[in-house]
Amino acid sequence: MFKINRSIRFTAVALFAILCPISPLFSMSAEQIVQKIDSLETFDTSYSEGTIITTDRYGQKTSTFIAYTRGAYDSLIEFTSVAERGQKILRTSGELFLFYPDANELIRLQGAALRQSLLGSDISYEDMTGEKDTLSDYDAALEGEGSFNGKDCYIISLTAKTRKVAYPRQTLYVDKETFVVLRGEYSTSSGRLLKEIEVISTMEVDGRTIASETQIVDTLKRDSSTRMIIDELNIDIDVDPSVFSLDNLTW
Amino acid sequence: MSMNVYQVAMRNVLRNKRRSILSGVAIMVASMSIVLLFAFIGGMKQDMRNNLTTYYTGDIRIRNAQFEEYERYNPVHLTVNESEIASVLNQFEEVESYVPRIRFPSSFYINSGMQGAVGIGADFEKEADFQQLDLILKEGRLPAEGEYEMLLGAVLARDLGLELGDSVTVMSTTSARGTNAITLKVVGLASFPVASLNTQFFWIDIDTARYFLRMGENETHEMLLRSDGDIDSTASAIHKAVLESTGTEVESKSFSQINDLYSMLSIAENVYYIFTAIFLFLGSTVIINTTMMVIYERMREIGTLAALGMKGKELIRLFFFEGLIISTIASILGVIAGSLISLYLSKVGINFTDAMSGIDMEISSILYPQFAPITAVWIFIYSLAVTAVATFIPSRKASRIEVVEALRYV
Repeated sequence: MFKINRSIRFTAVALFAILCPISPLFSMSAEQIVQKIDSLETFDTSYSEGTIITTDRYGQKTSTFIAYTRGAYDSLIEFTSVAERGQKILRTSGELFLFYPDANELIRLQGAALRQSLLGSDISYEDMTGEKDTLSDYDAALEGEGSFNGKDCYIISLTAKTRKVAYPRQTLYVDKETFVVLRGEYSTSSGRLLKEIEVISTMEVDGRTIASETQIVDTLKRDSSTRMIIDELNIDIDVDPSVFSLDNLTW
Repeated sequence: MSMNVYQVAMRNVLRNKRRSILSGVAIMVASMSIVLLFAFIGGMKQDMRNNLTTYYTGDIRIRNAQFEEYERYNPVHLTVNESEIASVLNQFEEVESYVPRIRFPSSFYINSGMQGAVGIGADFEKEADFQQLDLILKEGRLPAEGEYEMLLGAVLARDLGLELGDSVTVMSTTSARGTNAITLKVVGLASFPVASLNTQFFWIDIDTARYFLRMGENETHEMLLRSDGDIDSTASAIHKAVLESTGTEVESKSFSQINDLYSMLSIAENVYYIFTAIFLFLGSTVIINTTMMVIYERMREIGTLAALGMKGKELIRLFFFEGLIISTIASILGVIAGSLISLYLSKVGINFTDAMSGIDMEISSILYPQFAPITAVWIFIYSLAVTAVATFIPSRKASRIEVVEALRYV
């Protein structure tokens, strides 16, 4: 499954929040809500197929992919569209590796290179990294309650405790029923908006509500937006552990 | 009496040789400097034109009409069709040759880090007619057709610690606006006259570039043309012909329309003519000063000559000729000295390698001033004209001196 930064939660994993059992949650604190989101975003394993549609000043570009995930840290994405066929991104142990069919070596992305755009989309490689435990990097506060697209939400603000995160401030609109992050605003410490995501549609998988289509906008790119669509998702399936190893990246 | 004026003028020049030499040296240095300045600018212009037309723009460059608008966003996908345009170019007798080139910003993956570089996809068979590849190839050979090989700027290779036979993985944006990476073997090291080409560029076969960047069979970013005649008109005519023939709007521009710096140099050349006049006039102030001093020193002589019947005009002529003799000799010597130095430097060149390092200009590290005899002649005439005007000013003073007043100095 396509997996991007947990901390900002506009990854596919982040969007696959499990439908929460109906219970009286009104008394939940901001920390409890964030922990709930974190716990619901984690799958033992998953397999997904999806599409990334990027619209920019030049027009529209479509890429397709298949993705495997294991837990919160490991994921493998393989692109299947013609222009990128065979390219893979492996995330394991907090590191990101790129495989290109015509390159003799794996490329380990780090530092400033992580800020590069993924396939020209509004998603950066940096968005695909990050820690599992949001509360270890951010202080959470419940700003209030509101609604987004007619759904009741918690409005959570996250303020970074450390400088190592990509987005020092976040504002999340969390569906009270499903704990899907319906809208996220990601900003600098001074409040300048860097990215925003919105869930366009959801789907039901094994009794869970999953975001099936999400729009991501990098506000630093003019006239650009990216839609990520999950066409197929299977969770808690058998996935060969070697899929997530560097040795097997080139198969 | 007028014959005597010339003789008297010459005698006066020789009367105080040291003062005459001092006046002359100022004019000579000014003339010499101007000859050198124009030789330097001429060399710089010629060098820039050579480099621009060979490595950057050709005499005429054809690109996708939208490329310039989006250039800063690295629009790899904005291409032109080489074969379509080549068929149009066949109609133009002025066009001698052309080369297709694909230019793509890249990153070298070295020691787990990224190093920026600019790749050029080139058709080396066509390049052989366009530039002297044997002169730029320092070591090794050119990349073979369709192979994963590169020709690397020698300085870039040194900076990255790469040698012949090494392989390096290169990343770039594709025409599908995705990314791709390819491992290329260094088969040649190049030494270009322009510093930035040595420090930032690598060359690969155009078919390899098309494959790497996911471009079509005939797609290219630009076509550089060698052309005769009025290249501005030819560029405009090509634009129309391509539009009529293929229905595609392309950008077709001459190198002078593309490069602002070259246009600025041409404008600067005109400005330098004004500076030249000022420069020469400054040199002439020594003559003005000397003539004024001579007039005051020889007031008694002027009074006597006037009393003997020499008219005002003849007195002007006398001092004017004195100045003119010094100016003429000094200008001739200055222009000759400047010409000889220019000729010498045009053979050995001036090495700006250290000064130019890190400067991204289309000027070679070693610059060869260009001596043009006609320019030297013009500078001589120009020098003479300016100094003559400058000498005339104090000469008029002699004619205004009253005889009675002058004889008081007796």
